[in-house]
Amino acid sequence: MNYKLLQPDSLPEALGALAQYSDEAKVLAGGTAVVLFLQQRLIEPTALVSIGQVPDLAYIRSETNGMHIGPLTTLRDIERSSVVQGRFPLLAHACGEVGNVRIRNQATLGGNLAEADYASDPPTALLALGAQVTATSANATRIIPLGDFLLGFYTTCLEPDELITDIYVPACASGSRMIYLKYKSRSSEDRPCTGVAAIAAFDAETCTDLRVAVGAACEIPTRLPTVESLAHDEVWTDDLLREIATSYAASIETLDDIRGSAWYRTQMIRVHVQRALEEIRNGYR
Amino acid sequence: MDNKTVTLHVNGQSHALEIPSGQILLETLREDLDLGGARGSCGIGMCGTCTVLLDGKAISSCLMLTIQVEGKHITTIEGLSQNGELHPVQQAYIDHGAFQCAYCTPGLILSTVALLNEHENPDDATIREYLSGNLCRCGSYVNILNAVRACRPVDDQSHSV
Amino acid sequence: MAIGEPVPMLDSVARVSGTVPYAANLKLPDMLVGKVFRSSAPHALITRLDVSAAEQLPGVAAIVTAADFTGEDTPNLHFGSTIQDQPIIADDRVRFIGEPVALIAAESDGIADQAMDLIEMEYKELSAIFDAEAAMLPNAPTLHETFPQNIMRHAKLRHGDIEAGFAVADEIIEEIFTSPVAQQASLEPQVAIAQWKDNKLTIWTGSQSPYTVRSVLASIFGLEPETVRIIVPPLGGGFGGKGNIRTQPMAAALAWKVRGRPVKLVMTRAEEFLTVTKHAAKIKIKSGVKLDGTFTARKVTVYWNSGAYASSSAHLVQAGMLRTIGPYRIPAVHVDSYGIYTNLPIAAAYRGAMSSQGVFAHESHMDTIAHRLGVDPLELRKKNLLRTDNTFATGEPLSDVYFLDCLQAVVDGVGWHEPLPRRNGSVKKHGRGTAVMMKNTIANSSSECRIKLDSDGHVVVYISTVEMGQGGHTAMAQIAAEALGMPIEALSVSGPDTAKTPPDAQTAASRNTYMMGNAVLDAAASLRKQLAVAAAPILECPLEDLSVADGYVLVTSQPRERISYSEVLRTNNVTALTAMGKYTTNVGDLDPETGQGISTTHWHQGAGACEVEVDTKTGKVTVLRYHSAAFAGRVVNPMLAGLQNDGNVIYGLGAALLEEVAIDTGQITNPNFSDYMLPSFLDIPVELKNVSLEVEGSSFYGIGEMTLPPVAPAIANAIYDAVGVRIRDLPLTAERVLRAIQERTDHGQ
Repeated sequence: MNYKLLQPDSLPEALGALAQYSDEAKVLAGGTAVVLFLQQRLIEPTALVSIGQVPDLAYIRSETNGMHIGPLTTLRDIERSSVVQGRFPLLAHACGEVGNVRIRNQATLGGNLAEADYASDPPTALLALGAQVTATSANATRIIPLGDFLLGFYTTCLEPDELITDIYVPACASGSRMIYLKYKSRSSEDRPCTGVAAIAAFDAETCTDLRVAVGAACEIPTRLPTVESLAHDEVWTDDLLREIATSYAASIETLDDIRGSAWYRTQMIRVHVQRALEEIRNGYR
Repeated sequence: MDNKTVTLHVNGQSHALEIPSGQILLETLREDLDLGGARGSCGIGMCGTCTVLLDGKAISSCLMLTIQVEGKHITTIEGLSQNGELHPVQQAYIDHGAFQCAYCTPGLILSTVALLNEHENPDDATIREYLSGNLCRCGSYVNILNAVRACRPVDDQSHSV
Repeated sequence: MAIGEPVPMLDSVARVSGTVPYAANLKLPDMLVGKVFRSSAPHALITRLDVSAAEQLPGVAAIVTAADFTGEDTPNLHFGSTIQDQPIIADDRVRFIGEPVALIAAESDGIADQAMDLIEMEYKELSAIFDAEAAMLPNAPTLHETFPQNIMRHAKLRHGDIEAGFAVADEIIEEIFTSPVAQQASLEPQVAIAQWKDNKLTIWTGSQSPYTVRSVLASIFGLEPETVRIIVPPLGGGFGGKGNIRTQPMAAALAWKVRGRPVKLVMTRAEEFLTVTKHAAKIKIKSGVKLDGTFTARKVTVYWNSGAYASSSAHLVQAGMLRTIGPYRIPAVHVDSYGIYTNLPIAAAYRGAMSSQGVFAHESHMDTIAHRLGVDPLELRKKNLLRTDNTFATGEPLSDVYFLDCLQAVVDGVGWHEPLPRRNGSVKKHGRGTAVMMKNTIANSSSECRIKLDSDGHVVVYISTVEMGQGGHTAMAQIAAEALGMPIEALSVSGPDTAKTPPDAQTAASRNTYMMGNAVLDAAASLRKQLAVAAAPILECPLEDLSVADGYVLVTSQPRERISYSEVLRTNNVTALTAMGKYTTNVGDLDPETGQGISTTHWHQGAGACEVEVDTKTGKVTVLRYHSAAFAGRVVNPMLAGLQNDGNVIYGLGAALLEEVAIDTGQITNPNFSDYMLPSFLDIPVELKNVSLEVEGSSFYGIGEMTLPPVAPAIANAIYDAVGVRIRDLPLTAERVLRAIQERTDHGQ
């Protein structure tokens, strides 16, 4: 383990370091992933760019049209924020499901998204919420919908010289109901076997919008807009919910790991999409 | 590996140390500061034996580089007792037999302190949830729950599940 | 009265203050860091091993390879407490992925890591075998040429006429049960610090068996045992994994090569999985029963996957033979217990060794039989459980058995006869299950202790009992305190240190309370006699008229005529009195062909009952209530006993529901606590209770393991009760349950 440690004091300095070292650099935010990789010798960067002391990257800013969350905001702060709990309880809950209290005190939302671990909760919630990621380099800034940001297994579209500088969650329709279900097949401390995030808007009994994202069962969190639209302008019957759940299960290519086989995950997608929708319809507080 | 000079505030004392820039906090505490109460076990932040408090919040010292905590306030188990008197949480753990091999105990005690800082009167569900990231292989969880209940300001029956 | 009191552990303040001196905390001057370079092939001939670049790296003090063991005066490469088949580091052949091939001593972890990268190894792969039953087949590769068919041990039990037994049965039920490879997973890893100085070897290590470590190391290095000193601080958990001998030979080999400087070897979490595991087992169990529920015969075949080297499997396989039968009256019993070599890491003792796997099999099987006969599983057990004066399958008569009481305690606790919430149409189904276990002790065994009384009234108990969280030291202090009539505050416990504390077989198999407890009683009795003898002239009274109690020697008929222990010593101008104590048991010799004989001095007995909820859509099992019972005879410390009982159940929940070492072509793929999950606070039943059964006038027996083995079968039986599916393979994962539920639905059952 032999790298040059850089501790930039400002965003331009951090971006300059990334421009210089490019894919030889690894960014250290909270550290729960990167320090683990370094300790286990899974990565051997030339430079470690620790951005923990770069100012103004940890914030939760609620505006009329949505909420901006800084990349260095810890998952615990998001979990416990009354503002997030009020506006996007789905996100507070999903962040609160990650690991344990210690992990959440240290891990950052930016770090979580940049790692693109498939067995993670926040990306699934953020996909359902239609979140956008701002990626900044020394020369440019771009805003990327999360669905385009997450490309595959531990892979994002983030360039080596870019940092995530903002996460934006657009406002949901008033009266939206939302839920995140983390299904753990083993210990209560397990990573998700399957995660389902669902948000629905209603006009009386009729659904005006539905978004369902499934994660942890597949390489990247996945929404199926065609299936979601089955719920639009409909009153939710048991048959409809079953149809949506079954379609999600049939359409998503699941993976095998120690938490469950591909077959099992297909069943869990069906079961938990259905349960998420039932919870929204029946049991919403 | 470059060395770096850092100033750490641990248990109310400041230390100027020269350490490899890639050293984890757990190693600095154990090797450079002779504070052996934080232990290594899983190496991946899952078990909690390396727990310390960073500005009052529980973190895994096996996943934190020492350079990340410069200037912040670290509390280890050694910093809990005052003037030779055990902290009330420590005493509660003894009174309720809340340990066996005790390898996990400092981590649990510190996590309990952090819990009580955030929730003055946590119900059983909150206690179990908060401490679920601290593994006890000997299985002392029942007595640990009793010890933490006893630390609540009022032993309120309605909170016990 | 110290016995029966919930005395806090003697070093409680240290435990909550983080100052327990676990082995890894030890810092010695000039200490080096040890690391192990390991094989990446499961079975191969080493064709080239080049450590020259590593040796030359600045900061590397020594590299040890098999080449260091080939001279005339070099240590023995191979060791083993029974079969000496295990090389300290591989000779010309590796037999499992992760087998040590070279050892490094360096100034720091970083340098040792760099040295590892510089070692070059080439090998020619041989075909490998990982399944125990398959390893016995004619075309399987052989691991050790002197053990054909890879059978390291075949223990046999033949009791009664098995053919006749099956011939008269009304029903014959046959099942196969499997337990996977699992890991003891104490939170403290394996640690050994070794120093070779002036032709003496000192080891500081977290070991459950200091005297075994001493004798094996002495024989490796050709030393007199007294020149090998083993010092054991408190352990951060043992659970069998730190028994026998583990990493100490590697640390000792490095110390021997380095000469003078101590070397510290600490296993990483991933290496823990390569150091010791729990035996995977496949158990075929076949029973003959009459329609009225009595047994006529039982035949058991068990294949224990022992890994690449024998270690303690050689005798565990024999013990295991007795632990797969069950506590029932069965007139004809045959057991074949095979310990088999495979290209996997070494399997050895695990909490409730061999019982964990055996009880899962026979207690699950019991419920299958009950359902076949259409009787309540509880009633079938009550009808058949062994009672005092019954004969066990070894031919030995039983005494002091309370299986029925253990069973009754747990079923009462869990409310067996209360109606369960079984809501038709509900997705979540409730069920109840129970299980009973019996386990023989290590019957041929010895424990010694020394007690010293100072003239200031302080007592030190010198024992080689290992403190690993069970409170072994505290319990011994309580026993000594009561026997001497002194307050517990006046006592302290010292050891293990083979230079100072007398021999003890090991701290395992729940033997300490009984064996060392009785040794302490023996020493205390001897000390009291010495006090009386020393006091007699002072009190001017014949010996037979004196009593020793509560810190005084007194004239029995005139108790006010008395003298304190301190006064006795001071008056005699003696600074301390010392007494030795010993307790030995001498049974356990079973006929090698029939397994008949006296297998134990007393029986370890336990039971469990639970209520579970099964989510029929996910297969997830939640244990809502669990009650356990262990027979203790006489409880020394109820607080510690409760911790052991509950702790065992929680440990057992891991084995039952969560834990499996995943292996892909000999490679362990989940050697970490994210992929191999241990029970957390949220995994335990909300209602978890235990009871330790006592009997008037009984001795104190160990309970370190008894409530663990019933956990898996009790849950499996409850799952059957809830959803009508029988899972025969551990762990009882949600996926296994869901597949079984769906299969049952598909078959229209």
